[in-house]
Order: sequence, then structure tokens, then C-alpha cells
Amino acid sequence: MWDWVDGFLRAHGNARPLKFVPLALLIAASSSCSRPSTPVQDSHAYDAGSGSLTGATLNAAPNDPPGEWRSQARDYANTRYSTLDQINTSNVSRLRVAWTFSDGTLNGHEAAPLVVDNTMYVVTPFPDILYALDLTRAGEPIKWTFKPNPAPMAKGKACCDTVTRGVAYANGKLIYNLLDDHTVAVDAKTGKEVWRTKMGNVETGETMTMAPFVVGNKVLVGDSGGEMGVWGWIAALDVDSGKELWRAYSTGSDQQVRIGDDFKPFYERMKGKDLGTSTWPADMWKHGAGSVWGWISYDPQLKLIYYGTSNPSPRVPDQRPGDNLWTSTIFARDVDTGMARWAYQTTPHDRWDYDAVNEDILMDLPINGQVRKVLVHLDRNAYGYTIDRVTGEVLEAAPFAYQNWSTGFDMKTGTPVVDPDKEPHPNVKLVNVCPPDIGGKDWQPSAASPRTGLVYADIFNICMDVTDIEASYIPSSPFDGMDMNRYPAPGGNLGEFIAWNPATGKKVWSIKEIYMTMSGVLATAGDVVFYGTADGWFRAVDARSGKVLWSQKLGSGIIGQPITYLGLDHRQYIAISAGIGGAATVRADVIALRPFDFPAGGNTLYVFSIDGDSMSSGPGQMTSKDNVSKAQPETGNGTQH
Amino acid sequence: MNLRAIYSAIGIAALALLSALGGCKHSEGGSTTTRAVSFPSDDLIGTVPLGQVAGEPARAVTALSMDNPYHDNPQAIQQGKQLYIKMNCAGCHAYNGKGNMGPDLTDTEWRYGGLPIQIYETIRDGRPQGMPAWGAALPPDEIWKLVAYIQSLGGTVSVSDYEHSRQGDQPGEQVAPEAQADAQFAPTMPIFPIPIPAKTQTPSSSPTPAKAGEPKP
Repeated sequence: MWDWVDGFLRAHGNARPLKFVPLALLIAASSSCSRPSTPVQDSHAYDAGSGSLTGATLNAAPNDPPGEWRSQARDYANTRYSTLDQINTSNVSRLRVAWTFSDGTLNGHEAAPLVVDNTMYVVTPFPDILYALDLTRAGEPIKWTFKPNPAPMAKGKACCDTVTRGVAYANGKLIYNLLDDHTVAVDAKTGKEVWRTKMGNVETGETMTMAPFVVGNKVLVGDSGGEMGVWGWIAALDVDSGKELWRAYSTGSDQQVRIGDDFKPFYERMKGKDLGTSTWPADMWKHGAGSVWGWISYDPQLKLIYYGTSNPSPRVPDQRPGDNLWTSTIFARDVDTGMARWAYQTTPHDRWDYDAVNEDILMDLPINGQVRKVLVHLDRNAYGYTIDRVTGEVLEAAPFAYQNWSTGFDMKTGTPVVDPDKEPHPNVKLVNVCPPDIGGKDWQPSAASPRTGLVYADIFNICMDVTDIEASYIPSSPFDGMDMNRYPAPGGNLGEFIAWNPATGKKVWSIKEIYMTMSGVLATAGDVVFYGTADGWFRAVDARSGKVLWSQKLGSGIIGQPITYLGLDHRQYIAISAGIGGAATVRADVIALRPFDFPAGGNTLYVFSIDGDSMSSGPGQMTSKDNVSKAQPETGNGTQH
Repeated sequence: MNLRAIYSAIGIAALALLSALGGCKHSEGGSTTTRAVSFPSDDLIGTVPLGQVAGEPARAVTALSMDNPYHDNPQAIQQGKQLYIKMNCAGCHAYNGKGNMGPDLTDTEWRYGGLPIQIYETIRDGRPQGMPAWGAALPPDEIWKLVAYIQSLGGTVSVSDYEHSRQGDQPGEQVAPEAQADAQFAPTMPIFPIPIPAKTQTPSSSPTPAKAGEPKP
């Protein structure tokens, strides 16, 4: 026993990697002999590794400088992959804290910081303060602070904590959404507001938490409020003026949804006129949600954006018979016009709160001898989808997390087969429904590496007991009706970090975690992937073997998104925010997700480097205004002067 | 005089004040039943300050000592529970009242005051961080029923506790062991103790021999 524990701890801290060895070998073997043809090389493609398990190519557009991190997902394809490789499998165990930054707020910290032109931009949860940190000066001091002063009312309208999922950089501006339904642009140099556009009315229960996504001169934004009976939408604004260019609703008439002659869904169920109203009881679509609070990706060749819509409102399915289109749906839209090209509803007539808002990672993937342009989407409903992003056809669909709501997947109709015993009805307590409302995986974005061809994701292993209670629509209050308790699924662990093969729809390896895993993932060319846990462990893992190479416990739980960048000293850094909150803590009564040793809230950004070295840290390091590392022995106390 | 005795004295004084007020109400209404319900008037509620009264720290605000006429009425509590669900209170504060988008209603931590009349005021007038004002949608007796239901959840601040809760003269709570005891659904995956190494540990960078259960590349 002690021998085992000792070996385990030496290798992994307190993580317990579970390895599906035979499976991994099988995949490796089959992919090497069945790889059909050389993938079509794109001039913007990341360099693939010789050891790719899938042969996938990933597009690096818009080709941001390798040492910077200018958007939440780093690239249009949403890979969260960095070509930096100073930190790699051979030295990552020497990662130490180089510096930290505390932002003074205590709600959930879900955003990734950005690094542009030797400045780091850090945004806080409500009141959505934006800090610029000067990476050219010792101690990375604050360069400017922007306080947007959002309406306090918004705090009580956000379902899942007063979070923001981050900022986007474009044309010298930082653009982000305020919880009170305004999109703002801030001058990156001065920290002054450039424009502010009111996108919704917070008094209806609508908020905004997603990170804007920039394509050319357009910035795409959407709303939150799937539990508030909002009318969900996505909109494109002009980057320089903030003027709204188009808006597409998630329910309503074809005109409102921006469905026209070009709309060609793959499956019959999604063909027809005005399905955004006809798949609902009269007028229920007006408060049917389909909010757009997750991630957007973009294919620069097809000029299409991809994103998902939220659950339908209310969360009591018997109040809204029908498929409830276009909620829990993935859309492909023309970025210039906003017109829909195809749509695919992941969970028709969603009964469990299985939003389709999770990220869509774009890959060119060899499948059955053909390179297909696909999007990989690990849905809240626990199915991992590989979808042809030209046509909307499902190529692979297989559960990546424990689930029992569906007995299988009908590839002909592209629909999971529902187990009728897992359908909730009002005032009936339904036990053991898996996954729960927050899904087999929530918004926390996965990463992909062209070197392995795999997708890396923080997922959940959670079930719920649920009782539906009929909800009334009262503007200003929630339109919800779901009373539930969550607890661990079989295995007893709440979290899991997995490597997913999108060509086969199979896990390659996984690491089980006691507590929830709800952080973003970072993949790097050093073949190291990074993730965090809700109880505060930040880990570096070998992208190929799944072996935990390094762990550190941070001051709070981690639901942020790790990034990497190059400093002025050409040194590679890894950054992550620790500040538990969000859906991981939104239900104070759900003790299963907040056991007694669960961490308290926090607000610290941790920046790591090899041995903790940086321009201004380390033994005897002193600073001055003129020279970041010039020793000043006469002062003797290392402070600025 | 120890703290407990002080609390008792204050409690008795508050109770005396309360029964005096109650008696007054009953005689005004001409009612002879002990369970007659009459609500504090809007004028009286209007005298409830949100903060302390400047310059007059010892001044007693009569309205603050008004209890909820429904506070021990099981039927009203049941009706309050139905209202709590019907008016979507549960959507923000959870079906068990323990908080969700909105604050926990089962504890003694109240941003705008946890006395019955303060909770009444909060429901009627709303609060700036998202709480709607229900005064236009619900008549006073329904709001008082909601207050009764919230009081029945075990938290809030009772009229007799007001003085010491206001100044913090109350014991703290140790939450961890209770949470552990309540953790019927807690994760069951084992949490391993850290063994104390006998000697200096192997540097982490050196390869470790593979053991059963460990991943193999």
C-alpha cells in the first residue's frame, strides 16, 4: 500500500492517471496503417508532428505572432495551441512561479489574459475591470486600469456567477462584453473607451458573459440568459465604430433567424420554413432562450463562423412540446451577412439543459480515406461530435463522458436516442440522470495539438436528481423550473482530463480528478498540455502519454484558461488565473461539488517560468526605472525609486 | 452579568415591547381572537432605516421590533412556499432557499437586514443588485406570507436577536465538519495522504519505474 502510494505520488502529485493502454495502442496502430492520403497542406497550417495519431491539420490563421496571445482561443480554429516549445516535456517539471497579480475581485475567473506588444491585459469578473500590465518593467506594474462601471443590477441577473470569458484584441483596441449588455472597445495604448454599444436590456434578465470573437473588421458577440427567458442572438459589430452590422436570433421566423435560400441543413428534421416558431407552442419561442454565450470559430476559406446556442427556456420540457429549434444547435453562418448556411441541433427538445455552446475546433481530418474539413465539438450532452463543417453532416458521435440519457446514436437522423425513463416531467423526482445540467463538459474550452492530432479537454463525471416544476414567465425573474442535485457519477471522481481522438471518437488516455475539472486547456509545441482543477491544482501533462509531469496547488480553484507567451527576455511563460466560481459554485446547496476542503474564492493570476526566472525575480534581483534588472546596491531593499 | 444574561434581558425587553404593540393592534382592530392578523402600516414600514440612525445611536426604531403576523402560522407558511415557487423566487434563491443567482436565505447574513420587516421591505421595494420590487405584483399579506416561509427556513434575524446581531455579539460557526457530515453525495474517489519520505526524495526529473496503474506511452 505505502509502496504504491509512494510511487503514485512521486509520479503524479495527487492525480491518478488512468490509461487505456490497449486502446491507445490500437489507435496508434490503426492510424499509422490506415492513414489514407497526405492531408492537403495549407500555407497557414501549423507544423504537424511526425507522431500525429490522426493526421489532422490545424489552420494557424490569423497567424498572430508566436510569442503573443491576442484572442481567447489564440486562432480562428479555436486550437488554443502555441508553437512555443522552450517549455517541454524534459524541463516542465522545473516550472516555478515567476510573478503574480491580484485583481481585487472575488467572483469566478474564467477569462484568459491576453499578451500583445509586451503588455498583458487582465479582465475581472463584475465590475469587469480591465488592467493593462507593463511586461517591459520589473514587477509587471499596472500601466492603466479601465473601469467600465456596469449596472449593479446585472449581478442579480447572471445565472452562473458574474463572470466574463475574456477580451479580444483588434486594431489597437481591446473589445469585451460587460455583464449589463454593453460591448465596449478600449484603446490598448491609453486605456480610454473608444466606443460602447448597448446590445440588450439587462432588466429583461439578459446579460453578456462570452468573449467577443474578431474576424477582420467585424466583432461577433452574443447574449447569456438561458434560465431567464431571453430571446437569444448573435450579432456582428464594426470593430472601429461599434455599429451593429447584423443580428441573428436563435428562435423566431426564418427572417429573424437569418435563414434564406443558402440554408442547407444536412438532416431532414431541420429542413422546412420557420421552424424557429413552428417547433414551439404558440409564442413560446419569444422567451425560448437559445442564448449565445460560448465560443465562436471561423474558417477563412469557407468564410463561415461556427457557434452553438443555449438550452431552451423554461427548463421544463413539458411546457414547450416540440423540437424547440434553434436552441441547443450548432450554426454555420456567413460572416459577412450573418445568413445561416447550415444548422445542426445536438439535443432536440432539450430536457436537461444541454446547451450546444461549447467550442467548435476546426480541423482537416483524414476519415475513411478522405480528408474532411471538420469541426470537433464536445457537447454538454456528453457526445463528442466530429461534424463535416461544409455540410453539417455528423461523421462521428460517441460519448466522451459518462451518460445515461441516451441509449445510442442514430447516424441516419443525426440524433441521439433518448431513454424515455430519463425524461423529466413536472413534480416527479427523477433520480440518476447523467450528465447533469452542466453537462459532460461545460463551456471550459479544450485545446488541440497538430503534433498529436488530438483534442484535450476538461470534462465532468457528474449525475443529478432532477424535479421539474412548472415555471411562469415573469419579466425580471428567472424562467427556469429545474430543481436538481448533482453528485459524482460512477467512479466517485467529479473531474477528468482526457485526450480525445476525433477521427475515431475515442478517448486515448485520461486522468481522473477528485474535484471538478472546469478550466480551459493549453496545448504547446513542447508536447505539454496544461489544465487546472476546481480545487486548485495546475498541472502539466505529456501530450502523448498522459503522464502528469508537474503540478502545483494554487491559491484558489482554477476555472480560468491557461496561455503562454514570450517575454521581452525571450523567455517562455505560462499564465493562469486562480479564482473559483462560475457554475462550479453556483449552487451553494450542492455539497457534492463544494466539499469541506473546497477552496475559497480568489483573484490571482499566476505566471510561471522555468525555475521561476524572469527579468525581475530571483536572488539579489533589484529594479530601477531605467533598467529592469540593474542592481542598485545602495538602496539595498529592491524597491523602485 | 455575562453575555447570555444580557441577551436574555434584551430578549425579554423586546418581547415585552412586542406584546405591548400586539395588544395595541388587537384593541385597535377590535379583535378578540389572539390569532387576528394585522399588518404594520405603510407609514410604520416607512420609518425603517436601512442604516443606523445618525447622531442617535441608542434610539429604538419601533418598527424594527415588529414581528411578522404570520411567522408562526403553518397555513401562511405553506402559502408562502407556493408563492416562493410561483413567483420564481426559487429561480434565483434555489428551491431550498440556499441561494443560487441570489443570496442564501437560510442564514443570518442579510445585506439589507434580516428582520421580518426588513425582509418585507426588500421584497416589496426590490434591491439594486437584481432583486425586483414585488410591491406592485403582490398585496401585503402575500409578501408577509413569503416572509413567513423564509423565516421558516431557519435563518433570518429574529426580533429578539436584533440588537446583538446588529453589533455582532453572537457566536461564529464552524462549517467544515458539518459540511463533511452533510456530504451524502461527496466524491468517493480516495484522497491519498502524503507519505513522509524516509530520506531525501528522488529528484522529480529522474525517471520513475513504471508501476501498475501508471500510464505507459
